[in-house]
Amino acid sequence: MTYYKLTTKIFLILSFLFAQGSLFAETTIQNETTNILVAKAKSSESTKAPVEEDFTEDDEDIIEVSDPFESINRKIFSFNDKVYVYALKPIARGFRAVIPENGRVATSNFFSNLLAPLRMVNASLQLKGEDATNETFRFLINTTLGLGGLFDVAKKDFKIKIKKEDFGQTLGHYNVANGPYLVLPFFGPSSVRDGVGLLVDGAYLDAVSYIYDDETGRYLLVKLIDIETTLSLDKDTYEAIKKDALDPYIFIRNAYIQHRAGAVEK
Amino acid sequence: MILRNITRVFITVFFLVFSSLSFADSNSPTSQVKSTVDDILLTLKDKALDTPTRREKIRALVNSRFYFRAMSQRTLARNWKKASPEQQKEFVSLFSNLLENTYIGRIEAYTDERIDYLREKNKSPKRSVVYTHIVTKSADIPINYKLAKKGDQWLIYDVVIEEVSLISNYRSSYAEIIKKDGMDALLAKMKEKLKTADAS
Repeated sequence: MTYYKLTTKIFLILSFLFAQGSLFAETTIQNETTNILVAKAKSSESTKAPVEEDFTEDDEDIIEVSDPFESINRKIFSFNDKVYVYALKPIARGFRAVIPENGRVATSNFFSNLLAPLRMVNASLQLKGEDATNETFRFLINTTLGLGGLFDVAKKDFKIKIKKEDFGQTLGHYNVANGPYLVLPFFGPSSVRDGVGLLVDGAYLDAVSYIYDDETGRYLLVKLIDIETTLSLDKDTYEAIKKDALDPYIFIRNAYIQHRAGAVEK
Repeated sequence: MILRNITRVFITVFFLVFSSLSFADSNSPTSQVKSTVDDILLTLKDKALDTPTRREKIRALVNSRFYFRAMSQRTLARNWKKASPEQQKEFVSLFSNLLENTYIGRIEAYTDERIDYLREKNKSPKRSVVYTHIVTKSADIPINYKLAKKGDQWLIYDVVIEEVSLISNYRSSYAEIIKKDGMDALLAKMKEKLKTADAS
């Protein structure tokens, strides 16, 4: 018993001294430790060259994608590519040239705020109470203090961050699988599940579709402004993928499936 | 009772000392990644350099931090063992160039944005993940670096952007090309891609 007490005391004193030393001479001690670490690493390296590890079986996960409609999908993919290159992107460049970045960020915030009820409902459907509450507060704060949603005050001053939720994610949350991969005209990569999600969100949860219920032309115009604003703020991601990927169709398909799997999991 | 308290104090003090040391460890995965990314960003912003010199400098920095052999092995997975040593060597060289181009092209687009280093998770003594955010005016883009330890260096063997693992993506894409047309066709396609990238 006494022996145990004594050793504890010694340990205590030693660690106290060590702590004090590290407090008062923080920099030197840190440097010394680093040097020791480096020296150790170097000495072990010099005795034997580091063995090349085998990575061929390191957490291997092949992304399983069901794509029975590949040939049709590819046709729609190249149609969308033309729409993007010859229509959407030139307009987005016009946005960049004419509207200052802050103005485009405010526009994008405005549209994002309109979708807060959509995110709130979907978070609720997944019984994610905290996320639903956060989205409710974000909507209330940004609509009032953020001047109708132009400024993301909720994120900047209240540190409440956006969390994207949609009906596709809600279905995924209840273990509905993607089903076949789909490329939708104009909308781009999707799946049977997410396509259904898109329809439900668009019909019931999109504020813009409520406002312009009977005016298809105006609805499309507002949606176009939304899309062009997003594209004008994006740093040419699609162009980069097209430039770098051996097969952009496969690259985007697999990225989409991975991205959605991650979104469902969160 | 006193003994228990003393032990508690001892543990607390030990923990404090230990955690302060590990926090200051300049060899941690986060500090190693950060130092390379910072150097790349500084080089990108250095107006005194001409374009070829700048590219060369960045290439060297990327090469020092990316574990291209590991990335190649993970990308080819089962196909790595089926490939001949010559094919393996050629693949590593082509794939490194493609990845370099992709990474440099993307980081150039985000030169003026802030990068937040959120946390790191050590999965084992030789595996770690560093979680970062690129903060732009309109969105936060999550980027995670997967690292493997080689000697005293933490090297990047995968980059996960918005839940999309680049290596998993390449693996599935390349596996399809190999299945359809074979390894040599894949290598030819990669060469072709590099040629058009250099020309543009």
